Amino acid sequence: MMISVTRTPRVALPAPLGVILSLLVLAVIVGWSLAPGLFTGFDPAIGIPADKLQGPSAAHWFGTDHLGRDLLARVIHGTASSVSSAVIAVVIALVLGGLIGLLSGFLGGWVDTILARLVDVLLAIPNFLLAVIIVTALGFSTTNAAIATGISAVAVFARVMRSEVIKTRSATFVEASFLSGGSRWHILTRHVLPNASRSVLPLAVLRFGQSILVIAGLAFLGYGDPPPASDWGLLISIGKDYLKWPWLVYAPALVTVVTVLSLNRISRWLRKTD
Amino acid sequence: MQGAYMNYAAKRLLQAVVVVLLTYVFTFIVVSILPGDPVTNVLRDPQNGFTEAEIAQIVAAQGLDKPIPVQLWHSLSGFVTGDLGVSLRSSRPVSDLIAEVLPSTLRLAGGALAVALVLAMGIAYGARFLPHRFGGAALRALPSLFLSVPSFVIGLLLIHIFGFQLGLFMVIDPNSFWATFFAAVALGIPISAQIAEVLMANLDHEASQDYAAVARARGLRQSKLFFRHLLKPSSLPVVTVIALMVGEVLGNTLITETVFGRTGVGSLIQRSVVTQDLPVLQAIVSLAAVVFAVINLIADLIYPLLDPRVKLVGTAPRRVTTADELPRANA
Amino acid sequence: MASQDGLTPPLLRVDGLSVAYGPNEVVRDVGFELGRGKSIALIGESGSGKSTIARAVLRLLPAQGRATGRVAFQGQEILSLPERRFRPLRGKAIGFVPQDPGNALNPVRTIGAQAEEAAALLDERDPRIRRAIILDTFAQVGLDNPQRVYDSYPHQLSGGMLQRVLIGLAVLPRPALLVADEPTSALDVTIQKRILDLLSKLRQELDIGLLLITHDLAIAAERTDAILVLKGGEVQEAGPTARVFASPASAYARKLHADVPALNPDRYAALRDPGFARLKRAAPKIEVSNVTKTFSVDGRNLTAVDNVSFAVPAGTTHALVGESGSGKTTTIRLLLGLDQPDAGGITVAGTPLSGRAPETLREAWRHLQLVYQNPFTSLDPTWKVETLIREPLDRFGIATPKDRADRVREALANVGLGEHLLARKPAALSGGQRQRVAIARALVLKPDVIVLDEPTSALDVSVQADIVGVLLDLQANLGLTYVFVSHDLALVRQLAHSVSVMHRGRIVEHGPVSEIFDRPREAYTRTLLDAIPSGLSAPQPSRRLAEAVA
Repeated sequence: MMISVTRTPRVALPAPLGVILSLLVLAVIVGWSLAPGLFTGFDPAIGIPADKLQGPSAAHWFGTDHLGRDLLARVIHGTASSVSSAVIAVVIALVLGGLIGLLSGFLGGWVDTILARLVDVLLAIPNFLLAVIIVTALGFSTTNAAIATGISAVAVFARVMRSEVIKTRSATFVEASFLSGGSRWHILTRHVLPNASRSVLPLAVLRFGQSILVIAGLAFLGYGDPPPASDWGLLISIGKDYLKWPWLVYAPALVTVVTVLSLNRISRWLRKTD
Repeated sequence: MQGAYMNYAAKRLLQAVVVVLLTYVFTFIVVSILPGDPVTNVLRDPQNGFTEAEIAQIVAAQGLDKPIPVQLWHSLSGFVTGDLGVSLRSSRPVSDLIAEVLPSTLRLAGGALAVALVLAMGIAYGARFLPHRFGGAALRALPSLFLSVPSFVIGLLLIHIFGFQLGLFMVIDPNSFWATFFAAVALGIPISAQIAEVLMANLDHEASQDYAAVARARGLRQSKLFFRHLLKPSSLPVVTVIALMVGEVLGNTLITETVFGRTGVGSLIQRSVVTQDLPVLQAIVSLAAVVFAVINLIADLIYPLLDPRVKLVGTAPRRVTTADELPRANA
Repeated sequence: MASQDGLTPPLLRVDGLSVAYGPNEVVRDVGFELGRGKSIALIGESGSGKSTIARAVLRLLPAQGRATGRVAFQGQEILSLPERRFRPLRGKAIGFVPQDPGNALNPVRTIGAQAEEAAALLDERDPRIRRAIILDTFAQVGLDNPQRVYDSYPHQLSGGMLQRVLIGLAVLPRPALLVADEPTSALDVTIQKRILDLLSKLRQELDIGLLLITHDLAIAAERTDAILVLKGGEVQEAGPTARVFASPASAYARKLHADVPALNPDRYAALRDPGFARLKRAAPKIEVSNVTKTFSVDGRNLTAVDNVSFAVPAGTTHALVGESGSGKTTTIRLLLGLDQPDAGGITVAGTPLSGRAPETLREAWRHLQLVYQNPFTSLDPTWKVETLIREPLDRFGIATPKDRADRVREALANVGLGEHLLARKPAALSGGQRQRVAIARALVLKPDVIVLDEPTSALDVSVQADIVGVLLDLQANLGLTYVFVSHDLALVRQLAHSVSVMHRGRIVEHGPVSEIFDRPREAYTRTLLDAIPSGLSAPQPSRRLAEAVA
């Protein structure tokens, strides 16, 4: 009586291998953030002027910059700031957006109407522009760029959370819990929230990657911490003035791309496996 | 149906107007909590060379001495009547400043959307028709890659390859055809990825529907199945996606114009941010919201006319428009 | 089942067919033969591979599916045929009628546009003649206004009409073979009968061979010449319908026969019959009097429940029977207090439930529980079996935590599940196990009344039989009162003591089961009874269940 044919969705990469590689990449990134000194012996701030603008070699995998600093060391030491700012952004977006979506979907009525307009406003301003005016209001720094990036992603989380909450709220098992004597609070915390979160988690991972890009974009425009900070976006921004020595752009860009790609892959995997 | 549609259109229009006005208020609040006093920051800047008397005059003219709610009221009523105010930095009407740079940005944004659409269709339809081993799988992975590259890196890559290496355009002449073209490509690539993802997901969804199998059982060949059955239902949501992407394009011009050294709305924003020229920022953000609201209003008004399934009960039709909202695989 | 004269090859001959998805073999070594104008039923439960065989014959398996063996259509091997040489056979020589008519037509194209695709398979150049043929076909399959159907979009027609359209499109190119995959399982019983009658009629008129996929042994017995019983992808038994139906040789076919309610109305007589005495003597546990509920849909008022009254004596089962839209689900929502009636009164165990806010009903629900239709949606997928069953105890604060654990185990044992399942989540349970967990959840509160909303309609017949056994056991041991909602009259006959037949929001007839089934007074009740597939050759419009099984 049920269709016995199962269709597994086609995936681009062999799921386990791609995901395992992605997780390995993330492990390295986490290692770079927590203990950069373990991964490089070079000082990210002080270079040897004689060795400036050297191409990638066995000694300097990513080459050296215009002050003779090892680029890999700068990338590794810039990881903590790049990653932690993205974490801040995602946490802000997740908490604020999740709360808005949860209240809006669960309470409905005028709360939903008011919050829906707020979300509409956040959506109506182009995402990056919103981040720019907020970071302008808060002042230029990497942390403020992270906060701005987080706020600009609130609407996405609010919308997904709201639709998941509405879907879950009308699920049969929620009514079943109500009939079993469950209070609204019990239903909200034990049934609606865990089920709605199942779609929000992959979104958070996806947005983590996107936040790295947005923050890099803000750093590129000069809205983050100034040098000698070595956030990935800032490194690329500095490198663009030395296009004759392209590794100054492509090495930090490659690290950014591989990181974000891994996060996207993991997000897809989470979405599929649940 | 007619009455229902007019009812829906009226509601949707009202909603758009409300959102634009609220956006203006929101922007005003964000911008006016800027740390520091714009009067001190901008007007007393020695570079401007204003005398105290002139400053007092500007402050009085712009109402900067009034309480915030009063300023908001003046500013908002100006906006509603088409008056965008005066730049603090150059003392010129904001509308003039924007009008100067708008054509260049419109060319860039229009080009980017065109590039995005062509690329997205190429990826999605190519992935459907090319056999798995002949690149179909690689095409499917492309959007994810596109979404992992910072847009300024794409721009730098294009400048490096086509500007420096191949000499197709000169960086010092950003308005030449090729420079504009590659700027549009840089801006369009991340957009194309988002459209392609929605298009591919919708195509997969439609192809797995019973009706596709039944149509094949009626003897339809794959190409006919695609053009007659799958193309329309899978493309309809793209109308909405493109409308949503317009905002994305406008926001990202900021980066692309900086990378390619173009003058445009993006570089105007960049300049106003650095100089804290609040009226200009306020006007650009509000206009972006108007553009976004109008285009999405049009998309929402067209959609029910294209999709016979949509029943209008006063709310916007529900459909998947971003990859975030795609259903979970085993939900 | 040999071919008719030994010279012409059979219409369809399947030999050693196996289908695998990766390492996972879902059909193993299946073979059968179908002669021109004959019919064969592939019957089995979910996972038996019956639909996969149909798809393999049509060569519509998903990309990962691999079919091996031989499938010969009119003597021509088709499994190994290149797609471009097989495609001309699809539609023109082999027609397909799908399971769920609601999804089988493109929603954004008119029915006419899709009918033209079928008509294009005819050797007819003139578009006007093709159009006329389409409209004729629509009329032939019993669609009243062919032109209107032609111009409609799928969502503008009912499920029954859509299935007629699909059958029409399948037979229009005059195929020699029609593959029908559960063509009526998504439809109401009375419509099911009409669609099956239509298929039988077309098969005879047009001399089409029919490959019918079904889970219902009685339908197979009524409608086909031969039966192939499948389980887990393998053939359990095959042979002429009369033989397989009358004297099944394999254990599985015998079980399948025993589990069809229509064929065994007195299967649970020993557990059920003591309840009949209580119908007269026991005090009413539930009293529903003159209840009316009206909804506003798209600005129009729709009376979902219209002046409905019934009473259920303690310890008995009352069945609410009707087709979709008859108001039976609304009635039980009113009974539980999940919706409030516009008029009328509801009393359960002496406590009035109507006219109260949902918050004040909590105490009533300790004694009044609901088991939902679909166990795939009624259990929170993020919870474990143990917490799922314990939730009502926790919420009502019943007993100490230690006692709760004991009561969870007791409820689990009552529904026949082992304790090893306690740590599992619903996704790791079968459909039948899930529904048992749902019943255990209701049971753990030791309620007086359990409302069962089509509790077996999403399950296979053998699972249904188990669940019904569990329910009747519990009633006999614990003295429970049931309200049992169903569209399946044969099932109702097996387990209920009294029945209300609902139609368009009203109760058209009610009384003890024996009266309603043996001496129906209303025409609608008779239509419903006649629609029950009895397993005897169709059509038999006047034969009633009581005689059929005598």
